[in-house]
Amino acid sequence: MSVDLSVAVGTLRLANPVLSASGTFGYGLDLVDLCPPEALGGVVTKGLSPLPRAGNPPPRIVETAAGMINAIGLQNVGVDAFCRESLPQLRQRRVVVVVNVFGETMDAYVQVLRRCEEEEGIAAYELNVSCPNVSAGGMEFGHEPQQLERLTARCREATEKPLWVKLSPNAPDLVATARAAVAGGADALSLINTVRAVAIDAERRRPVLPRAFGGLSGPAIKPIALRMVLEVHRALPEVPLVGIGGIETGRDAVEFLLAGASAVQVGTATFRDPAAPLRIVRELEAFCAAQGVGAVQELVGALAWP
Amino acid sequence: MRVRLAARRELSPSCFLLELVTDTPFEAQPGQFGMLACRAGRDPFLRRPFSLAAVGARGEGTVCELLVKEVGRGSRALRELAVGGELQLLAPLGRGFDLATPEGGRLALVAGGIGLPPLLFAAERLAAAGQPFDLFLGAATAAELLLVERCQRAVGAVGGELVLATDDGSRGERGVITEALARRWASGAAYATALACGPTPMLAALTQLARSWGLELQLSLEEPMACGVGVCLGCVVDGADGRRVTTCKEGPVFRASELAARWWQ
Repeated sequence: MSVDLSVAVGTLRLANPVLSASGTFGYGLDLVDLCPPEALGGVVTKGLSPLPRAGNPPPRIVETAAGMINAIGLQNVGVDAFCRESLPQLRQRRVVVVVNVFGETMDAYVQVLRRCEEEEGIAAYELNVSCPNVSAGGMEFGHEPQQLERLTARCREATEKPLWVKLSPNAPDLVATARAAVAGGADALSLINTVRAVAIDAERRRPVLPRAFGGLSGPAIKPIALRMVLEVHRALPEVPLVGIGGIETGRDAVEFLLAGASAVQVGTATFRDPAAPLRIVRELEAFCAAQGVGAVQELVGALAWP
Repeated sequence: MRVRLAARRELSPSCFLLELVTDTPFEAQPGQFGMLACRAGRDPFLRRPFSLAAVGARGEGTVCELLVKEVGRGSRALRELAVGGELQLLAPLGRGFDLATPEGGRLALVAGGIGLPPLLFAAERLAAAGQPFDLFLGAATAAELLLVERCQRAVGAVGGELVLATDDGSRGERGVITEALARRWASGAAYATALACGPTPMLAALTQLARSWGLELQLSLEEPMACGVGVCLGCVVDGADGRRVTTCKEGPVFRASELAARWWQ
């Protein structure tokens, strides 16, 4: 049977529900031979700041059980270079582009949005308010509901395009931050970002990473991410969600859709298998066909509650 | 691509050579690498980067060799893999050595310990092309000098010299390999370019020497990496232009002039 893979995240229609997660797919063109970006529901860019950022000094990553910890520190080329060098090709390939926006101040977020608003070919924005690896900006907005509402409202004024806010699993009150983002004008929420974590070198008696803490990703965090999607969906059933966290297979994607996500993002799986996002689209299609699901959209929030 | 373990050859108590075969035809440049999933499943979680030690056609497909030192979960899984077992390999990746030399120019290949694979690949490629080179091979002890006969054959094919050095003097010259190179240079050996791979202190010493001699130097670096294809940004080093450059995509071979001086300090 043929399966209708298309989904809607608010007003944004996607050909399928699988996007690449920010920071795992470059600027959308880095893996064209292994995973053509136009075959995905969309790509979320590496977090873009007004100016280029060098990120944290190495070492930046450490492998853990069923996952990894990273402390990249938002290294990126800056919004200008992205608009100049990557966006024209993404447009030409008809890729659905979601620009991930990062700033150290509220003004900086708005600055990135304004620059992007000069361009054609951006489908939506995702505000990164949950990066655990920078000292200013990012997570400090994501943890404070009042701050987050103000930031979202400022960004809302800068664009009419769909505005997603990427939530932190490290916030003291997840649902309160979700409500704040929606009150500020977010169209959808993506969750979760990485879970604050540490790896310790027993022989050297030191943390493995120079800044000690980093963000845990991969299948190790999937049950936590599912729980958080479910909690936010139950608290705010009308708000579209984009599920993220340890998705490695089509079946994983289905679990997030059932929990209430309208779409999903694939991140760390791409490091293990650069073609993972595309493979997950196919596996999702096969799952639906085998289960007699005619349209993926039917799965969204279809979890039977005990 | 799917690869099959055709043979594993023990070279020392901790090192072994894997011969992997695949039906997929592919070619590679010396200095390029592959990301190998050392075992199916999630342990180890990430693929491991291995410099390609040799790549050649076999039948319709390809045979490729990797030199492995047992240091952790990934390499242990490779030690345990049965011959005939299958793995996933992503290759070739990254930028390899530039082997072009000016007419009559001579290359110096400098390898320290487990840094041998890209230089063995380069040596055999140069030997096949009839391009002259000398090979400097250093290790802590004689037992850790690997694949010496094979190196000797490649060097011999173009009338070059194989220089061996060990820290303990158990084989070849006593001391580090960069000192052996410095002695040749002092007695008039002239090289157009040096290609090197090995421990960071060796590469640092070599960078200093090459700078003082005005010798062009290409270095193959090794950094922890998750993806190998330029998207995780885990493997960056400081570039000369102030940017942080990815070892996997912009490297792993860099000209010494492309790297920040502080990287060596």
